[in-house]
Amino acid sequence: MITVSMTVNGDAVSHEVADETLLVEYLRETLGLTGTHVGCDTSQCGCCTIHIDGISVKSCTVLAAQAEGHEVTTIEGLAKDGALHPVQEAFRECHGLQCGFCTPGQIMAGAELIRTWEGPLDEHQVREEMEGNLCRCTGYHNIVKAILKAHKDTRGSADA
Amino acid sequence: MYPFTYRRPTSVADAVKMFATSDDAAFLSGGHTLLPTLKARLAAPSDVIDLTALPELRGIEETANGLLIRGGTVHADVAASPLVRRKIPVLAGLAGSIGDRHVRHRGTLGGSVANNDPAADYPAAVLALNATVITDRRRIAAGEYFTGLFETCREPGEIVVAIEFPVPLSAGYAKFRNLASRYALAAAFVARTKAGVRVAVTGAYNKGVTRPTHFEQALDADFSAEALDTLDIDPNDMLSDAAATGAYRANLIKVLARRAVVRQGEVLIYK
Amino acid sequence: MDLLKSLRAVGQPLRRKEDERLITGRGRFTDDFSLPGQVWAAMVRSPHPHAKINGIDASAALAMPGVLGVFTGADALADGLGEIPHNPVPSTKFDVKLTGRGGTPVYLGEHYLLPIDRARYVGEAVAMVVAETRSRAYSAAEAVMVDFESLDWVASTLEAAAPDAPKLWDALPDNILVDATFGEVAGTDAAFKAAANIVSMTWVIGRVTGVPLEPRAALSWYDPETKRYTLYAGSGGAVRQKHELAAVIGVEPAAIRVISFDVGGNFGTRNRVYVEFGLVMWASKKLGRPVKFRADRSESFLTDYQGRDLVSEVSLALDRDGNFLALRADNLSNVGARCVSLSPLSKGSGLITGSYHIPLATLRSRATFSNTMPTQAYRSSGRPEVTFAIERLIDKAAREFGYDRLDLRRRNLVQPSQMPYRNAIGSLYDSGEYQKNMDRLLELGDWAGSAARRREAEARGKLFGLGFANYVESSIGNPKERADIIVHPGKGIEVVIGTQPSGQGHETSFAQVMADLLGVGFDEVTITLGDTDVVTAGGGTHSGRSMRHASTVMALAAEDLVNKAKGLAAEILDTGADQVTFGEGLFGVPGTNRTLGWQELAVTAAEKWPEGLRVRRDNEMHQPVFPNGACMCEIEIDPDTGGIDITRYVTIDDVGRCINPMIVHGQTHGGIAQGIGQALWESFTVDPDSGQPIAASLTDYGMPRFDNLPSFTCEIAEVHSPTNPFGVKAGGEGGTTPAPAVIMSAIEDALAPLGTIEIEMPATPLKIWNAIQTLRASTRAGAKTEVA
Repeated sequence: MITVSMTVNGDAVSHEVADETLLVEYLRETLGLTGTHVGCDTSQCGCCTIHIDGISVKSCTVLAAQAEGHEVTTIEGLAKDGALHPVQEAFRECHGLQCGFCTPGQIMAGAELIRTWEGPLDEHQVREEMEGNLCRCTGYHNIVKAILKAHKDTRGSADA
Repeated sequence: MYPFTYRRPTSVADAVKMFATSDDAAFLSGGHTLLPTLKARLAAPSDVIDLTALPELRGIEETANGLLIRGGTVHADVAASPLVRRKIPVLAGLAGSIGDRHVRHRGTLGGSVANNDPAADYPAAVLALNATVITDRRRIAAGEYFTGLFETCREPGEIVVAIEFPVPLSAGYAKFRNLASRYALAAAFVARTKAGVRVAVTGAYNKGVTRPTHFEQALDADFSAEALDTLDIDPNDMLSDAAATGAYRANLIKVLARRAVVRQGEVLIYK
Repeated sequence: MDLLKSLRAVGQPLRRKEDERLITGRGRFTDDFSLPGQVWAAMVRSPHPHAKINGIDASAALAMPGVLGVFTGADALADGLGEIPHNPVPSTKFDVKLTGRGGTPVYLGEHYLLPIDRARYVGEAVAMVVAETRSRAYSAAEAVMVDFESLDWVASTLEAAAPDAPKLWDALPDNILVDATFGEVAGTDAAFKAAANIVSMTWVIGRVTGVPLEPRAALSWYDPETKRYTLYAGSGGAVRQKHELAAVIGVEPAAIRVISFDVGGNFGTRNRVYVEFGLVMWASKKLGRPVKFRADRSESFLTDYQGRDLVSEVSLALDRDGNFLALRADNLSNVGARCVSLSPLSKGSGLITGSYHIPLATLRSRATFSNTMPTQAYRSSGRPEVTFAIERLIDKAAREFGYDRLDLRRRNLVQPSQMPYRNAIGSLYDSGEYQKNMDRLLELGDWAGSAARRREAEARGKLFGLGFANYVESSIGNPKERADIIVHPGKGIEVVIGTQPSGQGHETSFAQVMADLLGVGFDEVTITLGDTDVVTAGGGTHSGRSMRHASTVMALAAEDLVNKAKGLAAEILDTGADQVTFGEGLFGVPGTNRTLGWQELAVTAAEKWPEGLRVRRDNEMHQPVFPNGACMCEIEIDPDTGGIDITRYVTIDDVGRCINPMIVHGQTHGGIAQGIGQALWESFTVDPDSGQPIAASLTDYGMPRFDNLPSFTCEIAEVHSPTNPFGVKAGGEGGTTPAPAVIMSAIEDALAPLGTIEIEMPATPLKIWNAIQTLRASTRAGAKTEVA
């Protein structure tokens, strides 16, 4: 057993956990943040995508211990002061989700993408950069639209 | 996963000591090979020694010999590095083509090179550029480092702390991805170095990353796609599986090498 | 129906009510639930495709820390647990009636929670371990020693159907559980004899698996005081699962509460009970603790109910002018180790003539057991297979007899004047404008401009392919549905209904329907689903049934509610009930300006009746509907690598009345992706030498992804069905139905300059490259470039 301490969605947390605890298990089972999902066991589906220090990672492929001292943001922490993140808004507006299981991972991936992407963002680039997130329901068409819309909304113009 | 003891060393030397005093330890770097392996219950190390927080394993700098990239540097940082983009742009592009975006935020150069997955990208760059693998205890030339599928000449507990890449005159990388795993079914790194043309192929040979020297000789004489026209790769030297037969891989090597020759300076990704 | 007169919300792309919780991480998927004191179950799974179970030694497992029990099939039998009553033979009035040989009942192969005698496929659960933690349960499962005795096995469909194949069930002489012939044999034979031209082909449509991103899970606890089970388990129909599990456990259905809130994708995989659901229920009673199970993705790959797997031999007879005279088909379905559902074979059987007028047809429908995971309905169950068979056969006929493939189709399409059209197998197509669909599709997709795009692609060294397919598909499904409408004073209108969405947006689209029926705002209506203590009856969601059944029963219930409310209004307004009018959500009396709204009536009702203002209505509808459409696509192939890019994908889909076009488009997109997946990447392959599945993880099973699909151009056509008040057909599965055919049609077109060769799906880069090599070699050899 080890003690892990980190900040999750702005709150300092600290718990004793089994050494081999994955970050996604810590989030779901210890912290009760069930918005982050487990969809596969080969680190390919992206349903578990969260942010560590603002950067997207697959929380199923990180030990809780590796997040020691870092800032973790999950889907539950994306909206600020009751206001949805532009990516969340765009997903609803563009019907970028159906069953919703992959959605938290898609939104976290999309949010990090548009925040860090320099220059214009086009459909091809969205499709390349989002490769690590699988969806079985939407055929991706509307998720692409949602991310492009959120990018446009946050940058103020199409070629920011 | 089977239970293990998590250990966090304070330095590389500390990590080496921890390894020596464990029953059966594994090093954790990016984690995107080790953790899936452990989750699949394919391995049960007694201790997992986490290298990710060691500052001495991060960083990219220019040296007299070229570019030194420390082992704990993540793929995304190599891909975005202004220094790498300026000096060896195809290396930056190769790093930016590994896995997916989230994988690139965690996976490391040292982890990739230490593991030597037969379908990984970095080994092709290391071998084609004639890089030097720097461990906690020695410097190893690329030609000696890779010894087979998932095999390297590292001793147990030996840590890849950095790779030093000579800067080539030009380079190109072309890969064809497995439609499911997205690893390379075959990939060719073609570099023009001061010592001549070097070609390294990953994903395809049944002995791991390999230089098809007959390609190199032909390209030395005539650096063009046509120079490879009459040359062949032996399908019996290839890996063969449901996704790609030996004959298909042999064909891909030729196609990809040609395209890397014609489009030096670019990273070409096909699927 | 009067209530349909003012439709405001219906037809609008209203944004979904579900999204609020799903985009903020507050979804309620099965694994999100935990109960205090819960323990975990893990399955011991067979590594063999076929093996006798001679004994199970749990001693090592039981000695491990935290292990609470190991349970076997023998234990289950001793506790009186029964078979899962899958009821696999579709039995609505209009389903094609499959039988065993000579009209005998279909032998199903019993499905106990854990087998007693043998394991019949790799991954079959043969024992359950329960432990304090999930990790300990899985570790202990590895320590259970099962004395397996390997038996001969068979996985391939054609081999399994052979008379001398290794047999899975002693009750049958071989593996053939279904063998029935339909249609007019003599007439068909005569037509073939007289035909000017005949074209034939055998198509293999392989095995895929649904890969819903939420792995299946179940959490059960047993309350010894109330003697009731509570089971959290996402599925395709909580009510059905409750009844089936009651039969397994041996209790009254009222003793079980099934909760299925958010479900992470279904596509058919969740339409039947999984053994783990019954197993955790059983364990939770025995151990007096809540018991939870969650499948790994690898378990999902191995043991989710799988899809497709059909071998279809088809022949088409044509006259000299290209009119279709007759069709013969022999369809062989691989149901796996036991029969869980015959939906694919049955539904496909009804549609073998596709969108075309073919006056005579004979169909032999067979099903075989094999040592593979059982199959069942998967996205457009049975219809992509038969659409593939007829559409690709028409392509072949066009090529062999020198017709333009569009002209040959157009001249044979069922005409609107023929609707309702009874096809040669007896299916009654309700409505549709097939030629109009074709014309509009060709316009929408700029078919005429493809020649220029071909030249441009060829200039870049690519092979360019243009594909086309028509489709008609059927929506039948469980014929019964129930709706409760409750007007809550001060809170709005609640509808309780028995469908089971997994992304189809019922909370939104059903609210649109009810809002318009009752003349209230969309925001005032909430839809309640998924908890069988509230949802007392219902048919679940499958076969595109939901909106058709739900809108119909909601319309009937709304009528009942309006009538009830009129009676109440009459009392309040001191007039006869027949004087009360209803419109725009208000009850009134003509000639006065007194009106009453739903809320006022609800308040009065609460004072009068203990149950308040509410109605319950049941409905039963057997008449199927036939969504239909057309599809084209363009692809580019890199001839050096066999790599393929889809550059254009266009569809027209007649879904009947479209309640929410945004939701329907989303369904089409997702359906297209699954169909393309089967054509290009997906195959649940079993190694022919070992019987081991070799594509049992995302590392080997290719999936549709962001970067291998294009954006789509989709248009909805609305030809209202005369079979139900709203005129709904279905919009959930039309995306998938023509997709495999249209992709393979495009690949064939791309390779046509080199010759013709059959490529079995999935057409991976390896296969396309191999095909190109074969064609080039045969050209060099001077052989006729048509390779069988």
